[in-house]
Amino acid sequence: MDDVQGIVVENSRVVTGYYLITIRLVKSFGKVLPGQFVMLRIPRNTVFLRRPFSIYNYKTRLLSIMYKVVGIGTEALSTLHRDEKVYVLGPLGRGFKKSARRKAILIAGGIGIAGLHLLAKELRQRAVIYFGCESKKEVALLYDLREEMNIYVSTMDGTYGYKGTVVDLLKNRLETIPYNKMEIYACGPEPMLKALKNIIGDIRISCQILVEERMACGLGLCFGCVKKTMDEKEPYKRLCTEGPVFDIWEISL
Amino acid sequence: MYRRTGFRHMGNLSIKLLGKDIKNPVMNASGTLGYGKEITRLWNIETLGVYVTKGLSIKPHHGNPPPRVWEEKQGMINSIGLQNVGIECFFSEYFPFFKKKKTPVIVNFFGFTEEEYVACARMIEPHPLIIALEMNLSCPNIKKGGISFGKEAGGVYDIVRKVKAVTEIPVIAKLTPEVKDIVEIARAAYEGGADGFTLINTMPVLALDREKRLPVFRGGFSGPALKPIALKAVYSVYKEVPVPIIGAGGIIDYKDAIDFFTAGATAIQVGTATFIDPYSIPKIIQGIKDHMKEYRISTIEDITGCAHE
Ligand SMILES: Cc1cc2nc3c(=O)[nH]c(=O)nc-3n(C[C@H](O)[C@H](O)[C@H](O)COP(=O)(O)OP(=O)(O)OC[C@H]3O[C@@H](n4cnc5c(N)ncnc54)[C@H](O)[C@@H]3O)c2cc1C
Ligand SMILES: Cc1cc2nc3c(=O)[nH]c(=O)nc-3n(C[C@H](O)[C@H](O)[C@H](O)COP(=O)(O)O)c2cc1C
Ligand code: FES
Repeated sequence: MDDVQGIVVENSRVVTGYYLITIRLVKSFGKVLPGQFVMLRIPRNTVFLRRPFSIYNYKTRLLSIMYKVVGIGTEALSTLHRDEKVYVLGPLGRGFKKSARRKAILIAGGIGIAGLHLLAKELRQRAVIYFGCESKKEVALLYDLREEMNIYVSTMDGTYGYKGTVVDLLKNRLETIPYNKMEIYACGPEPMLKALKNIIGDIRISCQILVEERMACGLGLCFGCVKKTMDEKEPYKRLCTEGPVFDIWEISL
Repeated sequence: MYRRTGFRHMGNLSIKLLGKDIKNPVMNASGTLGYGKEITRLWNIETLGVYVTKGLSIKPHHGNPPPRVWEEKQGMINSIGLQNVGIECFFSEYFPFFKKKKTPVIVNFFGFTEEEYVACARMIEPHPLIIALEMNLSCPNIKKGGISFGKEAGGVYDIVRKVKAVTEIPVIAKLTPEVKDIVEIARAAYEGGADGFTLINTMPVLALDREKRLPVFRGGFSGPALKPIALKAVYSVYKEVPVPIIGAGGIIDYKDAIDFFTAGATAIQVGTATFIDPYSIPKIIQGIKDHMKEYRISTIEDITGCAHE
């Protein structure tokens, strides 16, 4: 783990509002675990703090991040061009814990797929993906996973796959799933995680979620990134050091 | 003008602070370097002149619900709400690490009543590595409707005097910039017995939601835009009280640090800069050293307050 300089190799649009940036690091990060993230310093003077992004892919000093433009920082990020220098602090946080045998269900809502991509690449045939998004255009976010994996898609407007939320899609199929031999990994907006928690309430299935919160340092220094937990003794835990992956029953959603 | 001395001893970073020899004048600002261990993934804790603890209280404190941080141009707003493990846990779980590393510590503390401040000071046993207690006087006083302790001279005098009465450890008063006249507050703290000052804490501010046209976030502002405010506080208080001042607020690089020394600071604290570049502290220490060599300055003391001549 270190703060490493990188050079932008490519920063291209996946579909309107979503980008994939690839950065060549001057020094290796060392081992990267699926679910870990980086704090990216965006070299624009409109952006003060670093921004957290999941590691979408990492191989021989080539780091990529898939991101959605939602505000000042991600907007500025989308203007970076080839050969620009950035600083990347990482890899940070605890990643997903993988069990050797069990099959996996990966549940992603929209850009949440970015947090699960590396895991999907590692699990491959051992995993199925449930992907939910607004409309057909976001299906492009599945990118290289489309050819490689078994994927169920839902869209809110019904323009692709099941019409409705991804959790409803999963709920309809839940009976067909042998959950004692399965585990769930999820990343997406909080309402999605909440709905997921509700439908798996009665069944004992292992479920890890990757959650988000605003951050300042990413290193456990500021206590700015806490999530509310179910533990009365420790009601706030730092997402950047104790997370960003948590057991779904650990967090108050 | 800088006082110039012989070439041989240039760039000696060590300072004397409250009777103790400290190897360099750079500390972290309270609440911006976790409990100390977190940063050691990047650099050694011994790098610091002094480690300043997160604000501690008599009992563990859970802090505010998220979101706790907000971005502004040239700085950030935080509303951590003083989450901490409490004094007892700090000394059993975290202090041994500083003992092992022989790193001096300033213990930042706060209370929500006068009695809590006094109780904190009582709880902390003297130790050769404890340089001082740093009283966070920006904390809201629940008995006085949430107005911070540090805003009124009479109250500051009282609380500092009461804390001084129960501890042998030197006491540093950390002041809020949200006052009419910081010199008056500093004088009151000095008369109450303060052995030094940290200037300044964050500035209370507000952010609005442009669409809803309503407040979205309130908290303390820190970062580069705070620097000129902090610098003026150090400059104004330096002439009025004969005790050391630690400068804090918006220090990003060694140049900012030099400004604070020349304004009258004996040492400085770096906070928000660490979030932008986690190597800020080691870089500032090296930068000060290089600057001293270049300008043939033998010790920090030689330039402390020289902007007043
Ligand atoms: C561990 C982690 C991994 C992440 N991975 C990715 C990723 O792979 N791809 C991606 O596109 N985004 C990811 N995010 C979210 C990303 O950090 C935010 O979208 C980004 O910081 C927004 O910055 P901005 O300046 O564009 O938005 P701002 O102008 O700061 O805010 C715009 C909106 O974004 C929300 N927001 C701001 N910061 C965050 C944050 N840290 N987390 C969640 N919402 C936020 C605000 O509430 C606001 O509604 C991740 C966040 C975390 C904590
Ligand atoms: C996240 C955060 C937490 C802080 N916590 C404390 C605290 O517990 N006690 C305190 O006296 N000051 C606290 N401060 C204030 C800093 O110590 C410092 O006075 C202020 O941030 C100005 O310095 P800077 O601009 O270098 O950050 C905190 C500041 C930040 C940004
Ligand atoms: S972002 Fe600072 S503690 Fe997590």
